[in-house]
Amino acid sequence: MVGKAVPRPRVHSFQLPNGLRVLLAPLESSPTASVWVWYRVGSKNEHPGITGASHWVEHMLFEGSPRYPKGAIDLAVLRVGGELNAFTDTDFTAYFTTVPREHLAVPLDIESDRMTRALITDPEVERERTVIHSEREGAENWPEFRVEEEAYSLAFRVHPYRWEVLGRRVDIERLTPRELRAYYGKFYGPRNATLVVAGGFDLRTVAAEVRRKFSRLPASGDDVSVHDVEPPPQGERRAELRGPGTTPYLQVGWRAPALDDPTTPATMILDTVLGGENRLFHAGAAWGRAAEHPSARLYRALIDTGLAVRATSEWRPRVYPDLFSVHVQAARGVTFERLEKAVERVTDQLARSGPTARELDDARVRIERGAAMAYEGASRTGFRLGYFAMLRSAEFEDDLFRRLLRVTRTQVRDRAREMFRPEARVVVRYTPTGGDAGE
Amino acid sequence: MSERNDPLRVEYADGPSGLRVVRQGPPAGSASFSATFLAPAGWAHDPAGAEGTARLSSQLVTSGAGHRNRLELARFLDRAGATLTAHVDPESAEVTLWGPATEWEPLLRVLADAVLRPRFEEADLLRVRRQLLERQMRELTQPASRAEREMMRAIFPTGHPYRETGVGDPRSVRRVRTDRVRRFHSDHFTGPGSVLVFTGPVPTSAVARAARQLFADLPSEAPPLLELPRVSRPAPPEVRVDLPGRAQVEIRLAGTSLARTDPQFAGAYLANEVLGGAAMLSRLFRRVRSTGGLVYHASSQIEAMRWGGYWSAQAGAGPDRWSKVVPMLREEVERISAATIPGRELDVVRESRIGELQLSLESTSDAHELAVEVGYFGLPADHWKTWPARLRALSPREVRTAAEGALDARGSVTVLAGPVGKS
Repeated sequence: MVGKAVPRPRVHSFQLPNGLRVLLAPLESSPTASVWVWYRVGSKNEHPGITGASHWVEHMLFEGSPRYPKGAIDLAVLRVGGELNAFTDTDFTAYFTTVPREHLAVPLDIESDRMTRALITDPEVERERTVIHSEREGAENWPEFRVEEEAYSLAFRVHPYRWEVLGRRVDIERLTPRELRAYYGKFYGPRNATLVVAGGFDLRTVAAEVRRKFSRLPASGDDVSVHDVEPPPQGERRAELRGPGTTPYLQVGWRAPALDDPTTPATMILDTVLGGENRLFHAGAAWGRAAEHPSARLYRALIDTGLAVRATSEWRPRVYPDLFSVHVQAARGVTFERLEKAVERVTDQLARSGPTARELDDARVRIERGAAMAYEGASRTGFRLGYFAMLRSAEFEDDLFRRLLRVTRTQVRDRAREMFRPEARVVVRYTPTGGDAGE
Repeated sequence: MSERNDPLRVEYADGPSGLRVVRQGPPAGSASFSATFLAPAGWAHDPAGAEGTARLSSQLVTSGAGHRNRLELARFLDRAGATLTAHVDPESAEVTLWGPATEWEPLLRVLADAVLRPRFEEADLLRVRRQLLERQMRELTQPASRAEREMMRAIFPTGHPYRETGVGDPRSVRRVRTDRVRRFHSDHFTGPGSVLVFTGPVPTSAVARAARQLFADLPSEAPPLLELPRVSRPAPPEVRVDLPGRAQVEIRLAGTSLARTDPQFAGAYLANEVLGGAAMLSRLFRRVRSTGGLVYHASSQIEAMRWGGYWSAQAGAGPDRWSKVVPMLREEVERISAATIPGRELDVVRESRIGELQLSLESTSDAHELAVEVGYFGLPADHWKTWPARLRALSPREVRTAAEGALDARGSVTVLAGPVGKS
């Protein structure tokens, strides 16, 4: 078992003198090629007053650079049948383009142009302000978003994980184009970037093309480490939200360790046993899957008993200590007190006895199965290589995989015991005001 | 790649009891397979007074089948690295199994169990009923869901299956018992009218042989025929649902459209892509978001099904902006059929959509969706192979003619759901 590795395509990596890390994964038979640029910049690098800046920069990188004026990026990619998008997280931002393989030069040219030279003009920033407002409003229409945002702002008082990636409303109102350009100029550059290319291409040709296009960029990109350390919680923190809707929601969260903590594999198994998901090694879609897991502990304790219509756990390994959460959507007429007691019974049980041997074996088998099919297609390969590079490295995936398969029941129990302490808990209740089914 | 393994070309075969079998070769480098059983078991077939039966039935087929109860089935699938999912729409129910290609035979057996021997246990019915009741409430109170619901009710007349969303109401759902679910299932999961679509590295002959063996118990009686009311009622011009406290208004403009097998479909498809289907290239995105800066999402779609279809243009806008967005959507919908699309604009969108076909061959599940479409609508085996040529043969004039029929703004409805205030 010690020698096991995730079956993945052969990856050729190198670093340019300006700091850009490059991962190339040729997939001989792939009809497509996928280009991903990952920046180690995310909402963790913001501060009050400019929250949401990383996400805003993500939007602006589609709005023009010297060789690609406004609209030209979309046109260049879409006209050849490609697709493109981007997403921002707490720890990183990723831009991706997948094209028919013969058009690989298009995204490489775009990414080299906008890595350090995006225009970010005043009128475009102002126009985008309402677009971003609109994106946030759309999210606010969902009670789950409000609950999650509140849970993080309760759990963190010092660390930048305390604000949502979309940014605070007040900051979206006030952030200036000058501040946005300064933020981009400070952090976005080869030193903070990893370029991943996966798909049907000739290795030597593409390696040469990458060197030609990206080597001339300046070695920019300031240190993105975060030095704020969240002190340990000294007691339970609670919030009660009220808002439109008819369904009560409950989120219970506990502080969880950072990715490089030795207990990370045990925490991941705990997540699988509680909620049924394993977000990094699973069969199916690229990032998590919205399936039901009847064998998961929360499912049996809350859904089978009629207390809830949805119940799951969520933990994604992040660079800094984060939150391990349980999300519950209550069934009609069930009180928060009953829900909280039911969640507590489940977590207490795991802290007392850990998972059963069968639960642990099931979790291991699923991880192995998931890993076996994790790299299907160019886009997914590009995503996965870049994601692990952002967390640490492609080798880190193998290391984590091997450690996951070695986790014991006792380690999971100890992790549950350490984490599920009432004094380290945040609880957010969402009470629907109801009676507003519209007129 | 041999013609037989080209995922853009499927092969048809006969299964037992009138079941049609469609086999598609796998995308290059794929290690997985997908199999979907499509049955004429959509909510159009819900018994009167027991609306919600089709949704409950489709949810339950994945909750235990054959000799495995719900927990045993879930555990078996998890350990195999496979997923079993169900989906239902007005016309049909589909049950899909995805898993490692090396395990296709035992997993196809699980799919056959779900189709032929679902357990329909009382405890599972109670659980999915609770979830459906919750969904009913969400449909009424969540702006996007509410806008969709009101849109369908505005454009299709009472009694039309597309008018409903299949969730029923609290009374009808509580009326559904296990015996009713069993009856519904056995009446509609039959050979005639059903299709088994398989994508994976297995020859057609082997898939057909397995289908004949595993689905041999399928009833051979055709499901009851449905009589559809004619869509002749003019839609009301505006439906406004005030949902105070929400942050954003969901906007829909919609009208009836054509069926998937209509000869005008290709032209209508291209017209819709220019209007709002082709993401950042589309007119709606460019005008309302890129230039106007008014919304985050703005798009359009044509849902072309077996018995007919509908088109819709949609956006979400804040309480201070929605009134500016609505006329923009309307103008763009009107313009798509009132004026011929300039050749250059049409060419860019057309080539974009043709090129995108290659991206659908990245994974088994993506490619499988293409085969499901072919199988469900009974399209020619080389439908996707010839699709680019058919799109390229369309003139701007032909696209406009198709748009006139399929994206007709006259008689369309505008739906607003969110903080719109009292009218």
